[in-house]
Amino acid sequence: MINKKAFEIQFNWIFVLVAGAAIILFFTVVVIKQKNVSETSTKATVLKSVEAIITGAGVSTDTTNRIGIPSSDINVDCGRVSIGEVSKQYQNLILFAPSLIKGDKLITQTLAFSTPYRATNLLYITSPQLRYIIIGNSEIAKYINKSMPAELKKEFYKSAPEIKNSNNYRIRFVLFDNIIAFPKALEKLPDSDVTAVKINGDNEKGTAEFYQKQGSSWTLKDTSSYIGKQSLLGAIYSDTFEAYECNMQNVFSRLNLVTKIYVERTKRLMEGAVTGSQIRCNQFYSNALTQLNSILAASSGFSRENINVIAASANSLAGENKNAQIYSCTLIY
Amino acid sequence: MKRAQIQIGETIAVLFVFFILIIIGFMFYVKVIKDNIDIEKEEMSQLRSVGISQRIMFLPEIQCSEDNIIIDNCIDILKLDYAQSIMKENEIYYYDLLEFSDVNVVQIYPGEAKWNIYSRKTEDFSSKFVTNVPVSLYDPASRKHGFGVLTIETLFK
Repeated sequence: MINKKAFEIQFNWIFVLVAGAAIILFFTVVVIKQKNVSETSTKATVLKSVEAIITGAGVSTDTTNRIGIPSSDINVDCGRVSIGEVSKQYQNLILFAPSLIKGDKLITQTLAFSTPYRATNLLYITSPQLRYIIIGNSEIAKYINKSMPAELKKEFYKSAPEIKNSNNYRIRFVLFDNIIAFPKALEKLPDSDVTAVKINGDNEKGTAEFYQKQGSSWTLKDTSSYIGKQSLLGAIYSDTFEAYECNMQNVFSRLNLVTKIYVERTKRLMEGAVTGSQIRCNQFYSNALTQLNSILAASSGFSRENINVIAASANSLAGENKNAQIYSCTLIY
Repeated sequence: MKRAQIQIGETIAVLFVFFILIIIGFMFYVKVIKDNIDIEKEEMSQLRSVGISQRIMFLPEIQCSEDNIIIDNCIDILKLDYAQSIMKENEIYYYDLLEFSDVNVVQIYPGEAKWNIYSRKTEDFSSKFVTNVPVSLYDPASRKHGFGVLTIETLFK
């Protein structure tokens, strides 16, 4: 039988053990909580940087930037940018980017979307760790290679070379001639990490076929259209058909709103141009109004048919604006 | 009282004081963090206000252009007349860009005029910033420039 003294000593040790465990538990909880807060704070800081980039893109065109951020994995979806559990939702975001941007640097590019008047700015974001392989011998292939920032990890080939795996987290093929045989060296990579876009068309308009790796071959996901170099670049930067279509739909929504304003503005210019030398201007405005109405109707939805209408009307409208300039009329845009 | 009981009482007292000190330290830490968050929140609001002002200044819906070349700090009056109705009709679309704000263009010369191009306010705001930007007001019909002020009032919860 345990005597009274021995019981007291044992109880003391049990008490110390419980108190010690409580103290350790307390500090462990504090440290874990603090770690989570710190991680979330870093993610929020990166997201704030992305937000600032998106704001900046709206106010500056034809710029390219290389921005340093804490190393993170940024997920870009239709109208949503997220880093882990921290995300920001946008209703009409125009951001062409791969679905995953990895690393501690971002490369951003902005271009104005003009048809032929500026409707909005397009923002492109990607990572220098993502590998772009451009293959083509046409003028448009060379032009696109020149238009993509030099800071990118891009390779330009006139014909299909032997592709080696250089351990990039994602590889994007940009093909201008024919679809190439799937490179053997990339067969072991996950299917979602290797994608391709095949361009059929010129600087003005055309189609973009979205491919993805499936085992050791390519599978065609879907085909979309582009209008102008700006949206063609969008098809290159977006690695999924859905992301590209979503962004282009948002671009068209904005084009529709801006066109409404130009339609009303041109009507007012017409009303004011009724005397003397202004009568000639009236004809240009009248022709321009027809083209603007055509763009307005076609910008209701993003489709190949509407792109053809907008491209044709944009050319005619540019001609009418030139005529207005020649005859010293107030310009249409 | 037995010796063991006194020892346990001492240990409890030490632990009590220890935890009191921890709690005081923790309260101080929370206070410092809260102050930092408030400062950061204020800075963020100011930054967002500047962002909104920039977005408004560069809206193709109101900006002047000559053969698609943008003229800085210039607002086209003809565009402005229709932009205010279009932006009101599509308030939800523009909320994404302009959030809770009130945007007015006031013409000072020649004559006085006022356009309210966007207004979406909230009652329970915690901070408010007003940005005034002097702008040139271009009337394409008469090809004359006027002078005005673009007032952007931004509200944040």
